[in-house]
Amino acid sequence: MTKEKDEKKGTTITIPTQLAEKIQQRIKGTEFASVSAYVSYVLSEVLSGLEEESGEEFSKEDEERVKDRLRSLGYLD
Amino acid sequence: MKIDQSINYLVSGLERSGTSMMMQILAAGGIPIAYSESRPADEHNPKGYYELEGGKIINTLMQGRFPFEKYKGQFIKITAYGLLYLPQEKFKIIYMERNLDEVLDSMEKMARIKDQDREETKQSFRKLNEKIKKELQTKQNIDMLRINYNDLLKDATTHIHNICRFIGPYHFDTQKMVDVVDTQLYRQRRQ
Repeated sequence: MTKEKDEKKGTTITIPTQLAEKIQQRIKGTEFASVSAYVSYVLSEVLSGLEEESGEEFSKEDEERVKDRLRSLGYLD
Repeated sequence: MKIDQSINYLVSGLERSGTSMMMQILAAGGIPIAYSESRPADEHNPKGYYELEGGKIINTLMQGRFPFEKYKGQFIKITAYGLLYLPQEKFKIIYMERNLDEVLDSMEKMARIKDQDREETKQSFRKLNEKIKKELQTKQNIDMLRINYNDLLKDATTHIHNICRFIGPYHFDTQKMVDVVDTQLYRQRRQ
């Protein structure tokens, strides 16, 4: 897999043509407008799952800690 | 020449990560920004906070009643946690990042506290930062430019040009923007 910089939106990933064709077939009639949109969604889901497993998720406890700090700084009531 | 009036432009990032300085830079460049004077400048932000609603904009966002329509075509400041409550509209966001220990040092100084659970706090803010970047970068309605505060201070000219390119065609006064990068504000630098 190779990647190169994309000026507007981060990074362009190159995937095998056969895989792209399979995805193209799969997304027909779905809400996904492009192969890129589908791949981004799938990879985000995979990474989210991995982060949850490794305790990297922004948990409720994390959120309360952040909110407490924001209150102490006057950014939140 | 006007910036796109159909877009909401935001400056964001964790609190104390250089968001106020970025608002000053944009203002110096002649770019429309909106803020109120309800939170005056102080020793922590000597040039002002550049915030709306006295810095309590997050409350309004959480209640879903912030009038984004009113601020299209101009930059406003919404710090990182508030981005979790953005509506499904078109946004261009300049997202500030800074060494997290510097951010926490500055927060503690401003709140006049000594955090006894500093490492836990650090991890919580790190996770928030990652969550925001990950979620917003994949949204089709959002364009995000990440600017590292520490890098900006080292090479203002390069980053200012990146910011101008991100905003789009406009009569920027880039020299005035560069001039704003005042190293005296970098008080808690750790090298």
